[in-house]
Amino acid sequence: MKEQISKQEIEAVFPKVAQVIADALGCDVGDVQLQIPLIEGLDAESIDFLDLVFRLERSFGVKIPRGKIVEDARGDLPEADFEKGGIVTDAGLAQLRDFLSEVPAERFKTPLKAADIPRLFTPETFCKVVVRAQRAVPAAS
Amino acid sequence: MDGRFRAFSFVDRITRLDPGHRIEGLYTVPATASRFPAALMAEAVGQLAAWSAMSAVGYTHRPVAGLAGETRYYGAAVPGQTLQLAAEIERCDDEAIAYGGSASIDGRCVLELTHCVGPMLPMDEFDVPEAVRADFEILMGPGAPSGRFAGVNAPQLETTEHSAGERLRAVLHVPEAATYFDDHFPRRPVYPGTLLMDNLSTLALQLAGDLPALHGSRLAVARVRDVKIRAFTAPGQTLELSAEMQSSSADGAQMKLAARADGRTIATARIDIERSHR
Repeated sequence: MKEQISKQEIEAVFPKVAQVIADALGCDVGDVQLQIPLIEGLDAESIDFLDLVFRLERSFGVKIPRGKIVEDARGDLPEADFEKGGIVTDAGLAQLRDFLSEVPAERFKTPLKAADIPRLFTPETFCKVVVRAQRAVPAAS
Repeated sequence: MDGRFRAFSFVDRITRLDPGHRIEGLYTVPATASRFPAALMAEAVGQLAAWSAMSAVGYTHRPVAGLAGETRYYGAAVPGQTLQLAAEIERCDDEAIAYGGSASIDGRCVLELTHCVGPMLPMDEFDVPEAVRADFEILMGPGAPSGRFAGVNAPQLETTEHSAGERLRAVLHVPEAATYFDDHFPRRPVYPGTLLMDNLSTLALQLAGDLPALHGSRLAVARVRDVKIRAFTAPGQTLELSAEMQSSSADGAQMKLAARADGRTIATARIDIERSHR
């Protein structure tokens, strides 16, 4: 079942998330728009995503397990049904479109390599990661 | 590969291992070492944390230099001194290790590392997993022979732009061959990130020395923040290094550092230089 995250929840965390992204990427916080692609728009690389996750954990006092975004995107879909030979399946793509609802449809190129999923990520993606992690805190403690 | 487990190894013995939480060890800077840059104290703590990580994942992966949130320098080790090393492991899995740590000499802290992250990569790209496991057993047991490190040469930096007190750019020709490449790493030689940081620190010290308030003073690296290594540097590669002044006072200066290869930024950091009271 898709977990709903409201616009208000995203707006509540966005200023801090934007600052964390600006610090991690060394860019101006004004350049961090909610839906700008982090890789194509802000030149983020894989090491930046690792940096971002650890910075978000420290800033928000939450735990974000590694690979959490893709794992959450997959949901109940078994890994073997989500991707085959490194390419996201049709079922996986449908799941991904639903999960990354903030990403415009035209950015989901097909075939989509699983390794290219981070190309879809935007600041809003990480706002959602934070909101989900915040929701998980009471259950974990 | 005569230099394997010798030429760039900075843990002699592991004295305590609390898997997944804490590791402690010792390293004696060989009395014969020609030069032991302060950045190698950070390398020693990083290597200690790496032993914890590699043993935790069964030697299938090894960490490489990635992020160092903050490194504070309170002193320096000279040849003949023994570093007491410690690392606190915050998280470790086959994707990354997150840790902090310290190095002390005779109980006095000379270096503190916080918020470090090393991406974990497949071990067999870099070394023979079984050989690494055997090295770990040696470190956990009798310890490795001391005196293995011979020192590193001072970097050959070629200044390309110098705006006194504002900006300094230089070219670094990474050697085609050096003994440390036998150890870092046996199957894939990579210019160590800590040596790159040492090279960038050299630029920063020179730029700080341009400032009238600091000119002629003995200067030292006090803190390095937000180190990010984005790519490997291979033997023989040419890097463009830069230091840009951000702010300064009567006691020190803050700068941004960067290294580029073929126009791509491969490493960044911020550095604080202060008058040395050491």
